[in-house]
Amino acid sequence: MTCRLNPLAPAPRQPKSTSLAILLGIASAGVLLALPLDAADPPPLFEAEVQSIFGQKCGKCHSDKVRKGDLDLSTIAGIRRGGESGEDLVAKKIDDSYLWSLIAEGEMPPEDEPALDDHEREAIQRWILAGSHSSVADDQPAQAVDQHDVLPILLLRCNTCHGPRIRQGGVDLRTRQAMIKGGKNGPAMIPGDADASPMIRRIESHACPPSDSLLKFFVRRPPNSEVEVLRKWIDAGAPMSEVTADVQTAEPDRLVTDQDRKHWAFVPPVKSPHFGTIDDLIAAGLQAQGLSFAPEADRSTLIRRAYLDLIGMPPGRQDYRRWREHPDPNWYPQMIDELLASNHYGQRWGRYWLDLAGYADSEGGISADPIRSNAWKYRDYVIDAFNNDKPYDRFLIEQIAGDELIDHANAETITDEMVNNLIATGFLRMGIDETGSRTMNFVPERIKVISDAITIVSAGLMGLTMDCARCHSHKYDPIPHRDYYRLKAVFQGALDEHDWDSFKTRKLTVATKQHRDQVAEINGPLQAAVKRLQSQHKKLTSELQLELLHHHYPDQDERDNQATIQALKKADNNRTLKQKILVERLVTADLRADEQQPKHVIETRQELSDIERAIDQTQRQMAPSLSIRALWDLGRPSPTYIMRRGEHDKPGEPVGPGVPSVLTDGKTPFVVTPPFPAGTKKTGRRLAFARWLTRPDHPLTSRVMVNRIWHHHFGSGLVKDLENFGVKGARPTHPELLDSLAVEFVDRGWSIKEMHRLIMNSKTYRQSSQISEQAHRIDPQNRLYSRMNLRRLDAEAIRDSLLFVSGKLDGTPGGLPDTVSVDRDGLVSVNPTAGGGLRRSIYLQYRRTEIPTMMDTFDYPQMGPNCLSRNVSTVSPQALMLMNNARVRELAAAFAARVEGEVSAETGDPHDQWIECVYELALCRAPSDEERAIGIETLQELESAWKTEPHRALESYCHAILNSAPFMFVD
Amino acid sequence: MSQPNPPQSTSRRDFFARTSDGILGAALAQLLCTDYLGGVAAMAEEPAADHATGGFDLRPKPVHHPAKATSVIQLFMNGGPSQMDLFDPKPLLNQMDGQPYPGNVEEIGNTGTADIGVMLGGKYKFDRHGESGMWMADVLPHTAELADEICLINSMWTDHPNHDNALYKIHSGRLFMGYPTLGSWTVYGLGTENQNLPAYVVLSDPLGMPKNGTRNWTSGFLPPVYQGTPFRPTGSPILNLKPQYEEPDEVTQTARSMLKRLDQLHQSQRPHYQQLDARIQSYGLAARMQLSAGEALDLSSESAETLSMYGVGQSPTDSFARRCLLARRLVERGVRFVQIFLEEQPWDSHVDLADNHRAACQRTDQPVAALLQDLKRSGMLDSTLVIWGGEFGRTPTSQRSGDIYTGRDHNMQAFTSWMAGGGIKGGTSYGKTDEFGHKVVEDPVSVHDFHATILHLLGLHHQKLFYHRSGLEERLTGVHPPRVVEEILA
Repeated sequence: MTCRLNPLAPAPRQPKSTSLAILLGIASAGVLLALPLDAADPPPLFEAEVQSIFGQKCGKCHSDKVRKGDLDLSTIAGIRRGGESGEDLVAKKIDDSYLWSLIAEGEMPPEDEPALDDHEREAIQRWILAGSHSSVADDQPAQAVDQHDVLPILLLRCNTCHGPRIRQGGVDLRTRQAMIKGGKNGPAMIPGDADASPMIRRIESHACPPSDSLLKFFVRRPPNSEVEVLRKWIDAGAPMSEVTADVQTAEPDRLVTDQDRKHWAFVPPVKSPHFGTIDDLIAAGLQAQGLSFAPEADRSTLIRRAYLDLIGMPPGRQDYRRWREHPDPNWYPQMIDELLASNHYGQRWGRYWLDLAGYADSEGGISADPIRSNAWKYRDYVIDAFNNDKPYDRFLIEQIAGDELIDHANAETITDEMVNNLIATGFLRMGIDETGSRTMNFVPERIKVISDAITIVSAGLMGLTMDCARCHSHKYDPIPHRDYYRLKAVFQGALDEHDWDSFKTRKLTVATKQHRDQVAEINGPLQAAVKRLQSQHKKLTSELQLELLHHHYPDQDERDNQATIQALKKADNNRTLKQKILVERLVTADLRADEQQPKHVIETRQELSDIERAIDQTQRQMAPSLSIRALWDLGRPSPTYIMRRGEHDKPGEPVGPGVPSVLTDGKTPFVVTPPFPAGTKKTGRRLAFARWLTRPDHPLTSRVMVNRIWHHHFGSGLVKDLENFGVKGARPTHPELLDSLAVEFVDRGWSIKEMHRLIMNSKTYRQSSQISEQAHRIDPQNRLYSRMNLRRLDAEAIRDSLLFVSGKLDGTPGGLPDTVSVDRDGLVSVNPTAGGGLRRSIYLQYRRTEIPTMMDTFDYPQMGPNCLSRNVSTVSPQALMLMNNARVRELAAAFAARVEGEVSAETGDPHDQWIECVYELALCRAPSDEERAIGIETLQELESAWKTEPHRALESYCHAILNSAPFMFVD
Repeated sequence: MSQPNPPQSTSRRDFFARTSDGILGAALAQLLCTDYLGGVAAMAEEPAADHATGGFDLRPKPVHHPAKATSVIQLFMNGGPSQMDLFDPKPLLNQMDGQPYPGNVEEIGNTGTADIGVMLGGKYKFDRHGESGMWMADVLPHTAELADEICLINSMWTDHPNHDNALYKIHSGRLFMGYPTLGSWTVYGLGTENQNLPAYVVLSDPLGMPKNGTRNWTSGFLPPVYQGTPFRPTGSPILNLKPQYEEPDEVTQTARSMLKRLDQLHQSQRPHYQQLDARIQSYGLAARMQLSAGEALDLSSESAETLSMYGVGQSPTDSFARRCLLARRLVERGVRFVQIFLEEQPWDSHVDLADNHRAACQRTDQPVAALLQDLKRSGMLDSTLVIWGGEFGRTPTSQRSGDIYTGRDHNMQAFTSWMAGGGIKGGTSYGKTDEFGHKVVEDPVSVHDFHATILHLLGLHHQKLFYHRSGLEERLTGVHPPRVVEEILA
């Protein structure tokens, strides 16, 4: 596998002209390709025409000395050898030439290097078009084909029926030996004789893959070019090359230099000798610019800031007063400790992690957007981990390789720890997965699932944009194409595109005895009750449909009414015109306004919604399902091949598991050991990766996490781009601080809560958000932290605060997500819980196609595949939502009732006390004199504006306060 | 310790935040950027704002090159209209009606081959229309009259034979969920000229959502401010536009005026925070939007002649006619991108193609033609790009459904879309398919090419329009450069 001059022809991306005309013997106005060359001219030679161009314009990076991308363009031998990904540089057709495509698309030479002029481009184009001739003969044997050319084809086309899961006819096509051995009808392959080899005969006659199985097994027939490769290999005697999967060895890595390793973020962090506290380093930066810290924020501001930061809600009135009046000079650190001990803390900070993981309660992809019924277990795992301050290294190991920690399959008893470890691996299962659908489970769709998981791990945990290296070596960062696929090989034991479980089958049933007993004991009757309700619902739905037809079309024939019900059972696109018309009539009737509907229809609709609610409530009484949405190693990974240009049917060199070379010394092998040598077979690759990732001296893991924590406290990171610590990313504003915090983080046992204490107790954090004129002039973007940033609350904090302030928050933690309803306008609202309250936003159902409107309006992100920092938009739909939405208005009324209740016992002017109470509850402070005056004036006006209902003035006042900037922003 | 980044001058976002809405604001912003920030380059090719505050807005942005079109109306024909029945006549196919498919059925190009029937001749009569002699079937009599305004692209092709993925592709350039649509990219790149109305409006069918629902107008990873706003032709046009509760107007006014006073007080105590300014403005905009949207939706000022030309109040055109007329009114008021949808997928004729397609034509043909006519007579067609088409085409063979063979299956290898107005060369028929309309044989137009051409007409260069995500420059048209189809430009 040394020569890749003429690899498999790439699958055409554009439709090709049909050959049917020829097939039918019909003359067609076919397109003739006009060759620009006169056949009589001798072809241009490399040495005469292009060698010097490459030398001048490409030689800086691609010479025999410097070989970026492992590519040497200085000699014809180097060009024939190609680059590290095995791309075909010149090819027979210029359209297939990777070299030409890079030049033609302006990718090379890179922006900051001298460009090729027109003359040079034409010379190169002419040379490739004419066949890339050279005065030096090609001394490589013509196209040596070996097992690495053949195996990727067999994996892609044959593995499903002749691989690990199924051995159709007893045939396994995964190794040369197995091919020769064949199955019950004798050998599948006869080395040296492709014509006689049954596998070739079957492929060429289209007996394999069988026509009727293509969709069943998600296989596509091999194109002729692939069959040619198989034939060639067999005819050559099925030779095996010595080439093994490329992994890091003790030999220094050629593709990544020590210079590359010197980028600040790739060097392990070292604590600064100047680091005593955060404030030392921040103050130094301020002083250097003639600035100093802003004054400390007042006590009320600090209370509100800390509450919203740590638990995502303001304090209750008593808590607020307790802290405001607290006599202890150490009240502030005590308050931080109390908040960190609150269960609400995990509900706030777990949410940030769910963004990183790309949490969703549905699979996405296909339009049905199936519900992920057990994703919530992972959500609860994350919240618990934050509440328990699970050390971050352990947290990562469980999420990346929880299945490789304990051999649950051979355990005598299943423990909670085993179950939790498996739930944790749900981290790698959060991306969009459409592979459970009827038609979307081909290899490219599977690879999308894998690449999403790699993106989440690399950008989320390492701040590395590995995505770029999926198709070619990273343009800016020293991440070779090879390293992406080494990382893919890490996941190959569990996420193997050739040995795949769709989202429907990729689940484990592992549960403690206690849990199983509970399910056996209580779920049976409840399940039966659900079934009954469901059939009732179905029956009633048909009745409703008939009622609508009878009422709105009294003259419609009863046969047509029945035909309508029948037509509804067919998919829209399989209905005849008549059926379509009937269904449309029903829909039109259904869409009529309520005032135009008979009483009976309204009642039946109510009944239906009651049944839906009853079903939901019954399901909530059940013991949770035993099923876990996990990821686990199968112990039999297919070989991993580089995908040239990121395309699944353009295999390059084989690679083994490994980590980005630039984060290592480049000469230490990545050691993988199966975790249970005497037990369940597992590769141990992810466990090895997780252990490497959580090494105390890992250059990125701790830096990326402390930067994330900092970002959520200040609204900006020390490194601005949370996901990009690479060469093109912004450098840290305070590198010594970042590094010192990273080291502290590890030294303090990877404790996230310790980081909160460290940050929140600093003077830096406790600054006021006021911008002085001087700070505005010198530090307009607050890169120096010359004050606290004013921040708008995020969607969760807005909604949770609204609920908390109005007394409508149902504090029940965990379990099944709360369902939503979508009304005809597309407004998605959350259904109240059994007690009539609403739970915290983290517990809502996040179906990708039904994100609650309130969340969506305030920048809840699309998880594609995840979100590392949210955008903050300021748009009028937000104002419309808070001003006009009925739910928000109801919360305002509940808030008003609460205020009236709290104040009634007190004496004096109720207006004044109302205002006092509203400010304490909603804004966590006393009103200023001016605010008080505005409030009193407004309340009086409102009372008269409400005319006969003056008692509702307070509702309107509360509604306005909940809309106000002081409520939406935190200082 | 090392030096932190030097303090930076006021960001672009601040300039925008200080300038007023509308065209004047944009012009001023551009002037300021040109004058003080060292040329237009300071505007950056990535048009959105400062990440420190995370702010993104819809204020008008400068174009990359002079635009031919300033707004787009996309008439989306969900389900995949049949090219060989409507626009691309195939006499040989008609001759072979009822015969078996002459090649390997796997070439039909769908995931399954089990239900492939026989060759199915075109269902309608074709004729040449306009000075250009453009082919069109007799089920599109009104559209045919405007042939000389239209450019048929008969050589469209896409990458997937399933609706879900082909819809993602035609709207967002990717086969997968979660990417921003053409409309989102457009308003991200250009902003909008009327801040009192949404920049990107979706007019979906009152009967129900199209296939793929809201994902047809998602902003994907772009900030949600760039997603399409569904605008319903009846009832409250925008979510929460009108109060969903009852209270006397005077109460509303009093409460709002207090809100404004409190917000201004809050802001005055916090100088230099531009986002507070933006927030106060957003409440003002919301109030103006309530008025503007109502006005834009009110068809009563349209003449009887106009209403009848569109087919408003007539069956079966009424519903689609209202949306077409509304689209014109919105574009007239500065809305940048309007998408019109039909319920579910009326063009997805797996059975009864002859009847189903005729019904879909009867519903849409007259309103579509009226829209072109109306835009033309008001001079707006020159600056409005109208796009008609679905997510893929249909096969030359019939498809078995039960025991009947009366419809066609999906065909990703060839389909027809058309464009008109805004910089398009009317009377053009571009590209060729084979004798059956099955595959493109000349001048293929990929979805990326299609998108690049639309962006080009809008004054945006597909390469310069990008968004930074996870260190990648994300583009509507992906990694490999597409081709702007110069041949169809006026």
